[in-house]
Order: sequence, then structure tokens, then C-alpha cells
Amino acid sequence: MKRQNRFGSRLFIGLTFLFLYLPIFLLIVFSFNAGDSSAVWKGFSLEWYAALFQNRLIMESLYTTLLVSLLATAIATAAGTFAAIGLYALSKRRRDALLVVNDIPMMNADIVTGVSLCLFFVAFFQGWGAFAQWFNGAQSVVELPERLTLGFGTMLLAHIAFNIPYVILNVAPKLRQMDKNLVDAAQDLGCTWMQAFWKVILPEIKPGIVSGALIAFTMSIDDFVISYFTAGSSTSTLAMRIYSMTKKRITPEVNAVSTLLFLSVLALLVLNNVREIRQERRADRQEVRAPSFFEKLSMGLSSPSRRWIRRGGLAAAVCVFVAAVALLTGVAWSQPVVNVCSWGEYIDEDLITQFEEETGIRVNYQTAESNEALYSLLKSGGADYDVIVPSDYMISQLMEEGMLEELDYSRIPNFAKIDERFKYLPYDPENKYTVPYSWGTLGLIYNAAMVEEEPSSWGVLYDGRYAGNVLLINNSRDALGAALLHLGYSVNTTDEGEIREAFSLISDASRRGVFQGKVMDQVFQKMEGGNAAIATYYAGDYLSMLENQADGVDLRYTIPQEGANWFVDAMCVLKDAPHYDEALQWIDFIASTKANLANMDYIWYASPNKEALEQYPAWYEEQYGEELDPELYEIMAPPPEVLERCEMYLVLPPATRALYNELWIQLGT
Amino acid sequence: MRNKRAWFAFPYVIWMALFVVVPIVIMAVYALTAADPITNAAYPTLGNFTGMGLYLNVFLRSFWLAILATLVCLLIGYPVSYWMAKEGPRFQRLAMALIMLPMWMNFLLRTYSWMSILENNGLLNQLLRATGLLDLLGADHIQMIGTPGAVVLGMVYNYLPFMILPIYSVIVKLDGSLVEAARDLGADGVRVFRRVIFPLSLPGILSGVTMVFVPSVSTFAISNLLGGGNQMMLGDLIELQFLGGAYNPHLGAAISMVMMVIVVVCMVVMNHFGEGEEQAVML
Repeated sequence: MKRQNRFGSRLFIGLTFLFLYLPIFLLIVFSFNAGDSSAVWKGFSLEWYAALFQNRLIMESLYTTLLVSLLATAIATAAGTFAAIGLYALSKRRRDALLVVNDIPMMNADIVTGVSLCLFFVAFFQGWGAFAQWFNGAQSVVELPERLTLGFGTMLLAHIAFNIPYVILNVAPKLRQMDKNLVDAAQDLGCTWMQAFWKVILPEIKPGIVSGALIAFTMSIDDFVISYFTAGSSTSTLAMRIYSMTKKRITPEVNAVSTLLFLSVLALLVLNNVREIRQERRADRQEVRAPSFFEKLSMGLSSPSRRWIRRGGLAAAVCVFVAAVALLTGVAWSQPVVNVCSWGEYIDEDLITQFEEETGIRVNYQTAESNEALYSLLKSGGADYDVIVPSDYMISQLMEEGMLEELDYSRIPNFAKIDERFKYLPYDPENKYTVPYSWGTLGLIYNAAMVEEEPSSWGVLYDGRYAGNVLLINNSRDALGAALLHLGYSVNTTDEGEIREAFSLISDASRRGVFQGKVMDQVFQKMEGGNAAIATYYAGDYLSMLENQADGVDLRYTIPQEGANWFVDAMCVLKDAPHYDEALQWIDFIASTKANLANMDYIWYASPNKEALEQYPAWYEEQYGEELDPELYEIMAPPPEVLERCEMYLVLPPATRALYNELWIQLGT
Repeated sequence: MRNKRAWFAFPYVIWMALFVVVPIVIMAVYALTAADPITNAAYPTLGNFTGMGLYLNVFLRSFWLAILATLVCLLIGYPVSYWMAKEGPRFQRLAMALIMLPMWMNFLLRTYSWMSILENNGLLNQLLRATGLLDLLGADHIQMIGTPGAVVLGMVYNYLPFMILPIYSVIVKLDGSLVEAARDLGADGVRVFRRVIFPLSLPGILSGVTMVFVPSVSTFAISNLLGGGNQMMLGDLIELQFLGGAYNPHLGAAISMVMMVIVVVCMVVMNHFGEGEEQAVML
């Protein structure tokens, strides 16, 4: 064939690669950024790589990711290989029927697989709970656990389930190619069936097994959706951790860990390529070229046979790994633990370490996105938290549904230090279930550089003056609450007409393109970077944005004239929490003056601890050698006359909640 | 000896029943029931399906954006695979590796990276501002984030390799003597492509289209990040019912069922097209 001009085609391929690699390049570059922005370059630094190894949450999720991927790959490869051999011994009709079922997990959307497995596990757990209760009641020799929850085990099962079909898909063609008479011949020559299997079948299909394992591993590492639905709340893979971070701020540590992963695969690739080129030269005479690592990965079905891994090497490595893992998890399990669920960046993480050092109790700290999301998690059976920190109205709702455990206040001495005005509030009138964690207001945050005048009314969210630059808060209670206030109604109204009126205020604005988006914690990155002008959010978070705002951004906070919502977030223990004693210890620790001061300084939400609240300005001066701006202190802990203008959310009756839900979903459609 | 080996399949048949069939049945049960808001007791109903008209827009948007993304992927992916297959083995090997490599960097992170590029005050707008192009247009910024275009971009970016890989692996195995024969018989380049190469690469295209379309239509993270919550898709709607703000697994299961059925129907139609052709290589 004559040689064509390849400039055009190569340019096209090159541009495609540029498109694929531009974001990756940026990620890698910003992992070396001195600042914590992902858009503003502040100089070269390795601080994030150092910080990475200190960041427990990321390291734990990395470990979980590798563990679940390796275990799932090992198990799925073994099981898939045997299944394929079995399938190929069946008649063609039966085999084809089974292969159709085998294809389902590959063909289904991930989310469908995830959802169906999640529902399956939950249904199984319910059935198991009933059985265990009956069984434990009927005899007293063996005690079965009555409550099972989603966790590492269910996630592993899910990974195995979606990996096996890929292994079968890769092994099957090798079996098809294999000469059927080989096994018979081996046995005629005196092999036992087992020997024939090890000496004939396995070597023949090994390339298929290897490429199946590689694909399974890649799929496991890359998976997010299925893990997200089946892991429940107590474990997170790296992908899940990153997902919860994308809601707030991606910290550059994640860039660093991803860069490391990426570079190690790249190194593997380069090594492999170099080796191959060498081999190629050697094999030139025989004209046999070995397929590369990635060719195997991508074309596992057709790659010619080659010894990629020395016999047994892989098996030995897996055994060592599994043993190490078993040892490590065994150690982790024997330690007392408390499972805490709170909001994103809502604690000074040093407190976790301090608590662990003082008590020897390991803290499994997870976060939820909103009260409603937390409720969904609890209802779906995906959570095995001990301590949660919901807001006032959600506490009432959980209490109503009997989901909270009464607290033994005699074991929470620090409860005495909580200011009286935060006790016996409407959500917990007898104060039997809660210890307040923080309190604050919901108000308007605006970028003074992007607005013409200081907004004084909630109306600025809807009137379209700043169309395209307004962020709507992404939870029904707060979004509708602001609209209700603007219309002069109570945030706790149950009047359907009023609620619908408030909703149409929002949906009209949405239709006119007023809102740039519906956000929760993404508000940080949007407001700090000057990407939006106005948002509704919490006072404490405003103060933390203030610390991180980019040059040219001038963020301010105001409580509109119509009034606002004031809230209390409080710690509660879930009904039948497996670690009740540890939970009380944690609550008492967090309620202490010392912890409250540290927390207040870190998260910028006001503390309900009387001493801490009073001491904070002085403590701040001592820590930082400068006076705390009284205006900021007032935003953080508004004085009583401001609170008087604010209204607390009360729990809504189920019918109203259903209306809220229904309206809220409509908004997105 | 065959019978003995056939027993190897037995555990897997049970496994499949347990982890593939039963979950789907349970999902169907959820879809056909609803929980009473007061007592929380489940009762059978078709309400989840009949009430789905409310979300027609979400269905339409999901399918529209997914089709768009699939088309763009095909338009970029086919030429890339075709031209790659014409290059030398070393080039091919390198290109294949480069296409697979991004899969090892978490897709959420890569999508987030696009977010920082497309923001109103993001890298692209900054670049446009610095070069004076924005002044030329008289705009402060170009709105990119939160638009349907951004979501399609995110899908194309994430799923393009799934289009290239199957097409490439079919084209690269294409029998060169067929092309030569066609040329010998007097066909010009366009005709060879239209009558020989394209029909033979159809299985790869079909499997690429499936592999891009299915994840696109069901995505929720991409639309969430790049669509800013304005571009709700089926995946978002489902997630909302399970782990999001509106807890209603019955409705979520029903939407999942409908989506699954539509995808299966698409698949059957596709397979019908590709009948008689060599089964395309997945991945």
C-alpha cells in the first residue's frame, strides 16, 4: 500500500489525547500547588503529599479501595474460571440461556445494579433480623446477631457479583478455542482428572484468566456507583470519599493520592513497554510479539498465549496479602469503636485524635450531606451509626419515629456546662435525647464585588436582578423556608396554599434562569472563587468561606429584614446503637469546654457551651495575638435581639413533609 | 467427563440466582408497592408507574443528552480508532495505553477538574479574559457550568474510551485482503470505506454505542457536578429517592425498572441489527 500523508489523522488523534489529558494534567499540577485552590496557582510545594499521609480519612479509604478490589478480583477470578469451565461442559442451549443471565450485570446501568443489590441486602437483613430474633428466643446456646447493616461485606459481595461476568467473558473464548480432545488424551495417558485440569486446561486458558483478572481489578478500582449504594455508611472507598468532597472542597491531598496512583500505573506501563521492546528485538527472528499489558486489558479475548506472571507467583502474592489484611482487620476489630456521623468539615479533626488517645476508642467518622440525606440513609438500613448530629426539626422527626435512644445524662457531666437557653427546646421538650453541638442562623451570603447594593430582603433570590449568579440552597426545608419568610408566612406553616405559593416563587425564578444551580456544600467553592454573587447558607460556613476567599472577592453576610431561621444541631444516639457506652463518652468529650473552644475556632459555628461561648474572644486573642473582630463574633453568635427576629424550624406533620418532598422533586424536573 | 465438569457451573447458577435474579425481583416488588406515609406499611399499587408522567421531562432530558453524547463519542471515536489502526504497531500500543490510562484516575476527580475549568470564574473564562476575548464580546464571562452542554462534555470525556476500544479492536482485526480485493475491483477510497470497512466495523460500533449510551443515560455524578443541579437526569432522580433528600425507595425502584426495560429494549434492537455479525468484543 502506498504511504499516505498522516499529518491530518495524527493531528486529530493528538487533539483527542489533549482533550483526554488536559484535566488530568491540571489535577497533577495542582497537587503541587502551595495554596489549596484548584484554580489559582500559588507556587510549587510538596505540602499536600506530606499532608496526605497524615490524612486519616483519605488513607483509610485508599486502603478500603485496594482491599475490596484485590479481594473481589481474587475471588471473582477463581469463581469465574470454574464457572466458565462448568458452563462449557453444558449443552449449548442451556449454556446460552445462562450466559444471558450472566450478561445482565454487564448490560445493566451501574445504578440499576447498585439499587437492586442495595434493596436485596436490606430485604435480606430484615428477614435475617426476624429469623435471628426467633432463633435467639427459641434457644440460648448460640446467639445470632439480630441487626446486620450494609458495610464492607456487602460491598465486597457486590464487587464480586459484577466482576465474575467479566472473568467469564474472558475465559470463555479460550475454552472455546481449546481442543476438546486434549483432556481425553491426557487422561488416556494416565493423568487423573485433577492432573488433567492443572496440567492441561489451566495452562491453555491462563491468558484468558489473566486478562479477566486485570479487567475485574480495573472495574473494581474505577467503580463508584455500585459501591455507593452497597457500602452503607461505615466504609468509604476512595471514590466515595472523593464524591463527598466534590460537594464541598476537594482538598489537594486527593489530587496527591490520585497522582501517586496514576504515576504508579504509568511506571508499570513504561517498564512493561521497555521490557517488551527488548523482547521484541530478541524475538524478531521468530516474528512473535507478546501483547502489552494494556492490550491484554483491552483485547483480553484475542491475545495470544504468554506467561505474564510466573506460575504461582500471583497466588502466593494474594495469599500473603489476604493474610496481612486478616491480621490488620482483626486488630482493628478488637478495639472499641464509635461510629459518628456529622456534616462535612464540621469538626476540628484533632479532636478525634485527642479522643482516641485519651480513651483508646477508635472513632469511625463519616459525614452526610443534609438532614434529609441522613434520614434517607437511616431509613434505608444503610447506616450503623451510634452518634448523629441532626438539626432540631429532624431530631423531632426521628424521635417521633422512635429512632433515638434516651441518654443517660449522669454519664455526660459536661451537659451541665451547656447554656440553659439551649436546653428543653421545642424539639426535645423534656431534654431526654439530645446534647446540643452548635447553633447559628441561616442568612444571605453575597459577594459585595458582584452586587450593586447590600441585599436586605430574601426577594433578591427571586427577582432576577442577579440572574445566573444566584445559588439556591439544595434542601427543601431551607429553600422553602426562605421563600415563606419572604411572603410573610411562618416557616412552620402547614397551610398547603401558603407552601405552594412559596414554591411557585422558587419555581418561577428557576424557570426564568435566575439560579445558577442548586447547591449544598458546593457553595464554598462557588462563593470563594467568585463564581456566584448570592447564596443562602449558614453563618458559620460564611465565616469559613471568608478565610478562603480568592483575591477580588468580598463576601458579606446578612440576615434579611423578613427574619431568618435559627437552628440548633444536637448530638443524639440512635436506638439500639451497638456502642452506647462509647457514644456517651464521645458526647461528653465533645460537650467539654476545651473541645467546644477548639471546634468553635475551627468550624466557626457558635458553641452552646456557656463557658466556651463567653471565653472565646479572649481565647482567640491569646491564640492569635490579635483581637477577634466583634462583628464576626456577632455573626457567629448573634445577640438575643437578632435571634428574636428568627424562627426555629419545628417538625412538620407527615402530610406536609410529603408535600415538601413532592414539590422539591418537581423543581428539578 | 463432561458431566463431571458441568457440576462446576452449579454454584455459579445459584450465585446468579441469588445476586442477579433475586435483586431484580425484589426491585420489582418495591416498584409495585408503596409505603403509607402515616403507618409506613407497604401496600401494592401501580401508582409509582402511573405517577411517573411528572418526570417525563427528566426522562426526555436524560435520553436526549445521552444520545447526543453517544453521537459525539462516535464522531470522535470512529476516526480515532480508524486512523489508529492504520499506524505502526508501536504507535498503536502507545495509543491504546494512553486511552486506557485515564481510567486509573478516579472519574469524579477528572470531572471535578472540568468543573474548575468551566466555572464562571474558572480557568477557561480567566483565559478568555486575559486574552481580551471576553471584552470583545462585551461579557463578563461565558456561562458554561450548569448548562446541558457541560453535562454532554462530561459524558463524552468520561466515556469516549468505551467507544474507541471496541471499534478499534474490530478494525484492527479487519482482513486487509478484503480492502485490497475491493480496490482491485475498482472501488475508490470512499466506496471501500462505505461498502467494506464500515459494514465490517458495525459490531464494534454497536458495542461502543451501548457502552457509552448506558452509563450516560444513567449517570448522576456528572450531571450533578457539571449540571449544577439544574440538569436533573434519571440517575439523579433515582439517587434522590434512595440516598438523597427525598426518601422513597418505591418510586426509585420503579424508575430503575423503567430505565432497565428501556435499555434492554434498545439492546435487543441493537443485537437484531448486528445479527449474524461476529459478536463484538466488550471492552
